[in-house]
Amino acid sequence: MNPLLPFLMAGDPSLEALPAQLSEARSLGIEALELGLPHSDPIADGPVLQGAAHRAIGRGATPTRVLQALAGLTGSPDLILFTYLNPLLQIGAERLKMLLAPTPVKALLVVDLPFGEEPTFEAALREAGYPMVPLLAPTTTLDRARQVLAARPDPGPAAPFAQRFAYVVARLGVTGEGQDAGQDAAQGTTQGADLTPVRERVTQLRSISGRPLAVGFGLSDAASLATVRAMGATPVVGSALVRELAQGKGLSACLTPLMDGDL
Amino acid sequence: MTDAFALPTRFGAESLGGCYAPETLMQPLLDLEAAFRSALADPAFQAELKAELRHFVGRPTPLMAAPRLAAELGLKALYLKREDLTHTGAHKINNALAQALLARRMGKAEIIAETGAGQHGVATAAACARLGLSCTVYMGVTDMARQAPNVARMRLFGTKVVPVEAGQGTLKEAVNEALRAWAGRCDHAHYILGSALGPHPFPTLVRTFQTVIGEEARSQVQEQAGALPEAVVACAGGGSNGLGLLVPFLGDPLRRLAVEAGGHGRALGEHAARLDGGRMGVLHGCKTLLLQDAHGRTAETASISAGLDYPALGPELAALALDGQVEVRRASDDEALAGARLLCEREGILPALESSHALAALPALAAEGVATVLLGLSGRGDKDLSTYQSRLEI
Repeated sequence: MNPLLPFLMAGDPSLEALPAQLSEARSLGIEALELGLPHSDPIADGPVLQGAAHRAIGRGATPTRVLQALAGLTGSPDLILFTYLNPLLQIGAERLKMLLAPTPVKALLVVDLPFGEEPTFEAALREAGYPMVPLLAPTTTLDRARQVLAARPDPGPAAPFAQRFAYVVARLGVTGEGQDAGQDAAQGTTQGADLTPVRERVTQLRSISGRPLAVGFGLSDAASLATVRAMGATPVVGSALVRELAQGKGLSACLTPLMDGDL
Repeated sequence: MTDAFALPTRFGAESLGGCYAPETLMQPLLDLEAAFRSALADPAFQAELKAELRHFVGRPTPLMAAPRLAAELGLKALYLKREDLTHTGAHKINNALAQALLARRMGKAEIIAETGAGQHGVATAAACARLGLSCTVYMGVTDMARQAPNVARMRLFGTKVVPVEAGQGTLKEAVNEALRAWAGRCDHAHYILGSALGPHPFPTLVRTFQTVIGEEARSQVQEQAGALPEAVVACAGGGSNGLGLLVPFLGDPLRRLAVEAGGHGRALGEHAARLDGGRMGVLHGCKTLLLQDAHGRTAETASISAGLDYPALGPELAALALDGQVEVRRASDDEALAGARLLCEREGILPALESSHALAALPALAAEGVATVLLGLSGRGDKDLSTYQSRLEI
């Protein structure tokens, strides 16, 4: 099982640093990584990712430049492009496919694109090898979860994790909130958080789907991540990682402790 | 639990609108549509809404002939639909009150809202106080400074006003923050969106609750003038006032005009004229005409009027414009100020800066030979006194 799904914001600290960060992640054993495309109006993101997007845009990280910076990269984890819809719509499906072709991007996670809203655009990208990651929120009923998973189907065990997994949003709210609400956000210590609801949700979703699950839940301490792994799911670390990187900490120093500590 | 929308989610030949929402908000939006349909079909809800609109809001609002202003402009007749005379001073209360009733019916005791000029915030705050709901309003810091009286009014009604510092500190950022807040509290809170935008069902819901303006105006003008006017004019920010006035006139042989904020220039970032510089895009849950840069990032906007200072035109109004049913024009900051001054001097009415944009379209219409006009006076201008004082040097 994939032990960790980290998130990086493209262009923060810089696009120049991105290739080295990705190969460092790969050398740590990271199989797949969510790469954020900075957007002007990130309505599903909390303060940490908003800040990172703002900095990246200020440093010139346009969608086209991000994809060009990824072109020809080898030794990168499989990338899931985490983005809002409008920048992709403006590029257009045909040009987007050409821009994606030389990159390690394997799937798209479009935060504000529910299934069925842009069927032609979504089908064109899926047929070109860029499926949309299905998102399952706490408000998603099991009936709706079945619809979501059917509309964005599992391509099967031969496909990489990045193209197969469903993303379980384990809390209401925007990205990173659990971290901000933590007792000591600077150290990322959120020990004692009650993960029972996460466990119950994972169990429930397992009853309707056998595909890999990644769980984003706003926590970042090694013990909590290990608890999620013990549920058979891959923990996502986003805001906590972006915050530490912005403070100047190295990627290995951030990720290594989070890969350890399996129960 | 419903699992699909029953109402049309798209408008016009370009299929504008839609529901581009984060997954967390999808079930709440499905539930909202179901509650909306059930409320509309319920005579008890309709009766309560009607009673509240009459006794709390002060409907029907008058349609007033403005002969001195008409003469000044060279029009034969001008009628003003006086939404400025509603309780809280703008058309926003029609929608805010109806959605607050809907929220109570859904068992949601907490209300979230955004506001630009503060009129929707004040209306929502008042409706929540009236119905015993708790209320939080998100407002950009720039708007809080330029519409300070409305901030105080919201607080007097017991509403918590949360300053939004991101970006330009205007309506767009306030909507961002309100959507984020709703995603965190959608299990117990209802989001009262103030304009005919956002993900389905909001554009339809807001338009439905605002068409009372045009329905009243249409019968009032026929009663007073014995005929329909040649043109109906409204200002347009997101489009709740524009649709509210214009939609009931859609089948009529007359010109329908919406006036956008022309700001202080024609370059991107200097105005909020979406039809004249916007491209198709997705913002805040709907596809519509959007002011954006080459990379799909929302452009900055500028307008003297906080209520029109928004980068996207509501999807239904944009569709009507693209389909040729509504003419969209722009009025600059200076033209709007001139329109406001004229209404003050000739009719003794201080209009909101938003409504002043509609007034600014009148000289051109008169020059085109239009003789009779019905104009939506969407709000009163008390909130804008400090801007009028500094810009008109009074």
